[in-house]
Amino acid sequence: MWLRVVLWIAIILAPLAALAGDEKELLFHAGVGQRSSLNEIKDIWEQRNPDQRVNFSYKGSGYFIADITRSRQGDLFMPGEEFYLLQAQERGFVHHYNPETDIPAYFVTVIITPKGNPANITKIEDFARPGVRVGLGNPKSCAVGIWHEKTFKKAGIWEQVQKNATLSAKCIPELGNAAQHRAIDATIVWSTTAVLYLRDVEIIPIEPSLRGVIRLPVATLKFARFKEEAEALKAFILSPEARHIFHKHAYAVDPKIPVDDQGFCLDGTTDKDMRDLVAAAAAVKDESLPVNAETVGDLVEEVERQRKTVRAGS
Amino acid sequence: MQNALWQRGTWWPALAIFLALATITFYLILIASNWIYLGLGDTFYFFTQPRMWQRFWLTVWTSTVSTCFSLIIGIPAGYALSRFSFPCRNVFASVIDLPIVVSPAVIGAFLFGITTRFPFDLISEHYNIYIGRNVYGVLLVQFTVTCAFCARLMKAAFDSIPPKFESVSRSLGASNFRTFFKVVLPMAKNGIMASMIVVWARAAAEWEGLMLFVGASEGKTDIMPFAIYLDWNGGMMGWVVSMTIVCILMAVTAMTAMRLIGGKSHVW
Repeated sequence: MWLRVVLWIAIILAPLAALAGDEKELLFHAGVGQRSSLNEIKDIWEQRNPDQRVNFSYKGSGYFIADITRSRQGDLFMPGEEFYLLQAQERGFVHHYNPETDIPAYFVTVIITPKGNPANITKIEDFARPGVRVGLGNPKSCAVGIWHEKTFKKAGIWEQVQKNATLSAKCIPELGNAAQHRAIDATIVWSTTAVLYLRDVEIIPIEPSLRGVIRLPVATLKFARFKEEAEALKAFILSPEARHIFHKHAYAVDPKIPVDDQGFCLDGTTDKDMRDLVAAAAAVKDESLPVNAETVGDLVEEVERQRKTVRAGS
Repeated sequence: MQNALWQRGTWWPALAIFLALATITFYLILIASNWIYLGLGDTFYFFTQPRMWQRFWLTVWTSTVSTCFSLIIGIPAGYALSRFSFPCRNVFASVIDLPIVVSPAVIGAFLFGITTRFPFDLISEHYNIYIGRNVYGVLLVQFTVTCAFCARLMKAAFDSIPPKFESVSRSLGASNFRTFFKVVLPMAKNGIMASMIVVWARAAAEWEGLMLFVGASEGKTDIMPFAIYLDWNGGMMGWVVSMTIVCILMAVTAMTAMRLIGGKSHVW
């Protein structure tokens, strides 16, 4: 009887014992939107440093401050907006962050519409046309909402666009999914969100003066258990090799993109990225189009991934 | 004829059955439309990916382990609540109900603070186990959410067994311990098995607590409900829909098994 009980407990506990290891485990707080590119970076990093494991704690950016405040754990921090990092810095959680150099990648704003562009949107001003169903982000819960307000105010159509709004999204994928399922006629999202829905949406670049560029920072945290390793990983994320990985997922990676004080583009540095994105959307929908570095730039893998299935997966 | 129908009130069972069937049809249509959206080719593609089954087995083994822990605590606790009277029994009964009525998000937020403080910090330091962002965190959340639930269901299972069998067993000279293992447990077997499956399904469906306390690292802590959330954020509708289907199939299997085993037990 007792022997049996002991045996059962041993069987139950066996997998736990196997899991305890001596590897250095870096805890990385990262925005859930950066998942695909950071996973690639992690794979390369773990291959080169077999004694280290990178453990991502993917969450929406809004959760991080509460998480770090309470748990006081974590080695690196890469939220989806500089705002959250500055908040952490204000509270004294950030060990090392230099706003001049620690930006590995940028988001760029683009217009997306459902496949076939039913409301015939070609520029920002079309959002004000009566009857266009516009998806907006809630500025309190997602960064893209702040950019909607900024963009439409700069274009002078904020009042009309608000009247057209039929969706107030809590997070950016909600906008992508709404366009995919034809619940809205148009919205503005990051290029990195748009690239996830190449088969089901149309991508329309915004003219440079209304095109927003969003800084995506990375920093090491004060509570880091492995300070040296965390700094090394951060340096790797800022290296050209890692930037190239970000570029493959439609981030802008030019180290110097000229922007005004509000964050809008001053010239056409990001024009090539936008052209590639539009070409990629066409290539996923039409299998006969050639896919190579000339037609879609670094987005080749992304196009091939989405061509494999009707519903996106990897 | 119609008059007789109205007078005898047969319209009422007919309406009730119709509503029940309508509800079931509604859910079936939901599942079917999801599946049609995915399409046959994609179904085959996603269901043959190793990623799908890694997550499936992760879900299965974490919820199995946490169910086992819950049972180790839940069976004696449920028995105590059902049979013995001890000081503040009602207070304990209410406390044990807490994790059932409180949102799992609260449990996640609560665990958050506690694991970095005394005495848990000493335990994790001593064994060099880091509870939180790894599979231990998943187990802890699942255990916290299901343990009380388990005790509650076990109490119901033991309640359905008349206490006179125990008194007979004891009057014939068996000890309390022996009575429990040789008389009560075998009699409550069906109820316990049925409750176990419900507890397991509850553990496998846990998500909110994980979201707050553990966070997701791919391949390590993203059990199915969490993986659905992650892929939804990544715009991977194919994965979202196919994993939803697996989750529903898992739930249907578990509940059917419960009904088959539980028979007429009063657990649920």
